[in-house]
Amino acid sequence: MTKDLEKRLDNVYESYKEGRISRRDFVKFIGISGAALGLTGGPFGLVNKAFASKSITCHSWGGSTSEALRKFAFDPFTKATGIEVVDAAFAGMDAFLTQVKASYPPGGEFNIAHLSAVYDYARYKALGFNVVLDESKIPNLKNVMKKMIDTLKGITDGNLSAVPFDLGQTGIAYNTDQISKAKAEELGASLLYEKSLKGKLGSWGGDFRTNMWYAALHTGQNPNNIKDVDAVWAVLKEQRELIKKYWASGSELMSLLANGDIYATVAWSGRVAGLQKQGHPIGYLAPDGTYSWMEYMYVLKGTDLNIAQKLLNFMLEPEAAIAVAKGQSYPPSLDPTKVDIPEEVQKLPAFDPTGKLNGYQFADPDYWNSHQLEWAEKWDRIRAGK
Amino acid sequence: MKNKSFRPWLLLSPSLTAVFLLLVVPVCFVVVYSFWLRAPSGADIPAFQFGNYAKFFADFFYPGILLKTIRVALETVFFCLIMGYIPAYFFYKTESKFKPFLMILVMLPFWISFIIRTLSWINILGDSGMINHFFLQMGLIKEPFAMLYNEGAVIMGLLQYLLPFMILNIYVSLDGIDNSLTEAAKGLGCTEWQAFREVTLPLSLPGVSAGCLLVFVLTCGTYLPPMILGGPGDELIANLIFKRVIGTLDWPFGSAISTILMGLLAVIVYTYNKYMGISQIFNALSKE
Amino acid sequence: MKKIISGWSLIKIYTLLVYIWMFAPIVVVVVLAFNPQQFGTFPMEGFSFKWFVKLAHNSTILDAFKNSMVLGSLTAIFSTAIGVPAAMAFIRYDFKGKDFLNTLLIAPIMVPEVVLGVALLLFIRWLQQPKSFALLLIGHVVLTLPYVLLIVQARLVGIKKEYEEAALSLGASPFQTFREITFPLLAPAVFAGMLFAFTISFDDVTATLFWATAHNQTVPVQIFSMLRNSISPEINALGAVMIVLTISIPLFAGYISRKFAKGVDK
Repeated sequence: MTKDLEKRLDNVYESYKEGRISRRDFVKFIGISGAALGLTGGPFGLVNKAFASKSITCHSWGGSTSEALRKFAFDPFTKATGIEVVDAAFAGMDAFLTQVKASYPPGGEFNIAHLSAVYDYARYKALGFNVVLDESKIPNLKNVMKKMIDTLKGITDGNLSAVPFDLGQTGIAYNTDQISKAKAEELGASLLYEKSLKGKLGSWGGDFRTNMWYAALHTGQNPNNIKDVDAVWAVLKEQRELIKKYWASGSELMSLLANGDIYATVAWSGRVAGLQKQGHPIGYLAPDGTYSWMEYMYVLKGTDLNIAQKLLNFMLEPEAAIAVAKGQSYPPSLDPTKVDIPEEVQKLPAFDPTGKLNGYQFADPDYWNSHQLEWAEKWDRIRAGK
Repeated sequence: MKNKSFRPWLLLSPSLTAVFLLLVVPVCFVVVYSFWLRAPSGADIPAFQFGNYAKFFADFFYPGILLKTIRVALETVFFCLIMGYIPAYFFYKTESKFKPFLMILVMLPFWISFIIRTLSWINILGDSGMINHFFLQMGLIKEPFAMLYNEGAVIMGLLQYLLPFMILNIYVSLDGIDNSLTEAAKGLGCTEWQAFREVTLPLSLPGVSAGCLLVFVLTCGTYLPPMILGGPGDELIANLIFKRVIGTLDWPFGSAISTILMGLLAVIVYTYNKYMGISQIFNALSKE
Repeated sequence: MKKIISGWSLIKIYTLLVYIWMFAPIVVVVVLAFNPQQFGTFPMEGFSFKWFVKLAHNSTILDAFKNSMVLGSLTAIFSTAIGVPAAMAFIRYDFKGKDFLNTLLIAPIMVPEVVLGVALLLFIRWLQQPKSFALLLIGHVVLTLPYVLLIVQARLVGIKKEYEEAALSLGASPFQTFREITFPLLAPAVFAGMLFAFTISFDDVTATLFWATAHNQTVPVQIFSMLRNSISPEINALGAVMIVLTISIPLFAGYISRKFAKGVDK
């Protein structure tokens, strides 16, 4: 243990010597130092860093997710290694990326993050926050579904900067008291554009992708290669008149459905499972081409990889991954043909017993990221009714 | 004499240092960023160009949101004033032994997170909320009455948040009024109402104007009530900034919108301070 | 005379109505803390303390609560400590650039918090300093300073300069004058300013979201991240506990002091 610590202190010292010392010193000499150091704990910066290297920070979704991670992954890890895991909750994907982009030093504050969606994996890479993980140090990776690993590797040149952790879908939720199962299945994606449901529909306002995805399905197009974008906008414009509320959070989604304020909406599969567990009359519909996504544990540049890999391995222990799955109602990334998955988890929407994920359609990161700015702004206008 | 001219600066220095380092300098960064470019990845490219401003004024969409924000802010100020003055006056006049307790109650809503308080309106105004539930049970209406997700609901959420600011500002100002002045007015034959109109009301104006300014400015920077209680067209300028800065990671454009908003607010606050500001009113009073 | 009384009772009724309106959502929060259903609305389907029990075992929320309390208290102290002198300078002295500086110090409320949050991070990154609790604290002081200033200034305006001048002419030092004359008259505003600073800091989401490190997350930040899945009624329970405390402590203190006073009278 002591040796480990020494080594870590050396690393810290080296990284301190290497770069970034210039402006820090500049600041010190110029005399702003007094104030600047006062407000950021300057002279203790080095001490903080050394102290920080004995711990690793993991940002996740808080609530039951963090509880499960703490109990089944973090605490055993701390017991085994003596390294403290600081678990923090973030406010959302976009806000977290903003924080990471504005943080200093790299890897100082943000180490591991429980991120969503493949296109965000690509965004972190494009911004240069990726690392190269040593897969041999994470033996539990062997249990993870191959398709999920390959998807990530395809973006980071055959390497991994994250381990896949869980799986979800944005499907369609509907109120079974108001809409029959037969009708929902017959309409499929078009249920979201059904005129007779005027004033009883909802959608996720914060994400242009989800809205465009289902509009593409509704107009018979491939969501990952939309040929007629104008048709998609036209459909969304019409749909706006039918929408009661563009929800902004999972919490809002659940309360709108549970209270009967809306009868049908696009919905995150885990949230629908949560509602069903509590006995609400909510059905889940996954039409052909349902929007699927994965969540992964991303290791951010500057993090001590040895510690991170060890921790990732703890998190991928079936016991931990399954507990998290139960907590947040999204199935784990573990391959059901290699690991025993309890029945409760098997029943979750988006669970695939074959472990092959055939027919799961993920968003193509290049396609969506290259249009992000333009479409996000266009979507704002459509939403505002302009 | 020398000593005296130096004293205000001594008193001001801690505040000025803090505000300078944590506000002025960072805001300068924002202004600089507003001339930059955004790379497709979301990284920022240093540049000096006015593209972000040109984009804002390219059509009526963005300026329209700004104008709408100002309108909603003025409406909120109006309702806050109507709802806030009388309770503040009540606190000033009341001789109840519970007065401090009633004052603390005004601040009590803040103990429950703003997000929770705002979400809570859904349970009251929603289709299956308290009010609709009550009227449906009574048989007064057949269909739930839609009260949520419109501009009215947004203003309601804003009022809930901002009313304590208005009440306390007015109260503090009322409480500073020398009682002998109203007594004197009454002694000269004024009725209670006349004394209020001629003495109390004018003397409470610093608090009223401070409260109005505060409510106006805070409305312009708030994004939670429109997000939670508003319909699709009810977003305000702060929502837009939030979406640009955080949603699309477009810091340069987000900075440009912020700069425009800050410029507008700075003009308003500066004018306010100059023509009807606290110091102005004080000067008038002290000359008497 | 009769007319005045009826006017006064109208004022009372109006105030009562405003109170009811203001507390409606709070009452709902507190009532729903006892609802066993997570998404229950009205009518309630039972009554249970389960969210309170869960809250007592939730170390994350309790830690965040502790952080919020510490941060709020320190913010209140620092904010008034630097805000009161600044208000004195503006009201009691004439100097060049007064209007401008007054505007400047009120500026923190003009800058949308999203912008201020990110802007400060940009600056810190440029200085190449990591975030820290001190940064969060000073950030909150700057955020709350305008409220303290506005409240204290509004009150100072009403305090006659003559009192202070009299004290000074009788040979008191400026500091003595402040301590003996100005401060006692100013105390209600100072207290109100502290209360304001505390509550603003306690309830702040957006800026705190960006400034807080993993070690010092506050309750509102925790709630914001809960939005993604679902906000646990534990938060309602926390609200209920806090409200009961805030209402009962002053009442209890009042009761004790009255009892004590009675005892002395006898």
